[in-house]
Amino acid sequence: MAEYQCPDCGYIYDESVGCEREGYPAGTRWEDIPEDFPCPDCFVREKPDFETINAS
Amino acid sequence: METIAIIGAGHAGLTLAREIRQQDKSVNLVILSQEEICAYYKPNLSKALSTGKSPDQLITKEASQLEAELQCTLLHRVCVTRIEPEIKVLTYEMPDETQRTLKYDRLVLATGATPMPLPSHVADSAQLLAINHLEDYRKFRNVLNTKKQVAIIGAGFVGCELASDLSSQGYQVSVIDRAEWPLNRAVPEVMGSAIRTALSSHMDVRWFLGKTIEAVDRLNEQTIVRFSDGFLLAADVVVSAIGLRPNTELARQINAQVDLGIVVDAFSQTSIPHIYALGDCVEYHGSPLPFISPATHAAKALAKTLTGQPTELLLPSLAVPVKIGPCPTLICPSLGKRGVWEVQGSGIDLEAHYLNEFGQLTGFALTGKCVSRKMELARQCQSVASDAPLSLAS
Repeated sequence: MAEYQCPDCGYIYDESVGCEREGYPAGTRWEDIPEDFPCPDCFVREKPDFETINAS
Repeated sequence: METIAIIGAGHAGLTLAREIRQQDKSVNLVILSQEEICAYYKPNLSKALSTGKSPDQLITKEASQLEAELQCTLLHRVCVTRIEPEIKVLTYEMPDETQRTLKYDRLVLATGATPMPLPSHVADSAQLLAINHLEDYRKFRNVLNTKKQVAIIGAGFVGCELASDLSSQGYQVSVIDRAEWPLNRAVPEVMGSAIRTALSSHMDVRWFLGKTIEAVDRLNEQTIVRFSDGFLLAADVVVSAIGLRPNTELARQINAQVDLGIVVDAFSQTSIPHIYALGDCVEYHGSPLPFISPATHAAKALAKTLTGQPTELLLPSLAVPVKIGPCPTLICPSLGKRGVWEVQGSGIDLEAHYLNEFGQLTGFALTGKCVSRKMELARQCQSVASDAPLSLAS
């Protein structure tokens, strides 16, 4: 499962963990996250800004 | 080859460099800073204790990585002493005091802001710590090491987050403010009271609100804060977090228009050609907005402008998460200052709407479970913004 990181605050979206509080259960693939998904921690950066840190 | 020089390597300066590099691989980028340059996320300074991080662990990118990724020149610990807009040359002083010059084509002021000092008759700034960058924070952590009692002057964003962070690690924290409730400029009283109660009942934070400080004095190893009503408060460490003042000296030196902050047009250009400004040193809509979000938006738009696609800066609603352990808080400050609060909910689960004279939502604040409503409310705020574009041109 891949991981993506907010370039500002360092929040990591881990597909295997998901982001329950925003309504994305564990296993939700990055491609299924909407483009306007804001970083749940800093609320500044959006999905297209995220950096791939672990693509496997 | 064209050179873009950026003065300042905080969030605004580094984000701009990153965004420019995404648009243009060839432009020559030079970043000058008075500090040792590295990337870190400033809001994390007031969350580091509870996330178990040392100051060094807050660094997300070291200089070498920044240079490799941004293909830029980093000039650390230099002080820009002079700008000559007519010939597009700036002069800077090296750590060994030698003077050097740099020829630029476009110059960006990302000089940030400095914590406001308490009036000099109240406190000698040497007695207080103020935290606005990583080096300040290192000092703070060193001082904190053996101490127990911390007093924080200022119950704003930084003061509340620090109080939560410190008290979560067992420090005895007192927060002092002239206002009657914490975050008083950003949330209505009922919400401020809920935050206050949450921090004092779950975390042992003591509040001294509606208090004016008459003097801050050293007595042996402690600092004594004396209020105008005669009350004395002793602490091992006193942190001042009463707000920020934009760093505008360089802009003033070249006679660029400066009010509270550097005045810029909708394209982030100052009143001097080829010189731009963004971030905490600038005023947007007539007031400084020292938050991450406006700086990021300004950096994105300005990067496009500087690489050949003039792009107007439109600031959407700016939601700011405030990390207060027992009371999650999210604040979207209104850019319009004329309005009224409407609050619903109970306990710490509150939703406050800031409505302008037409009843439109221009800002909001959420606590507790209501924080999950942020997306929906941000969208409503945004639609108001797009009905009446927040053009920055004056």
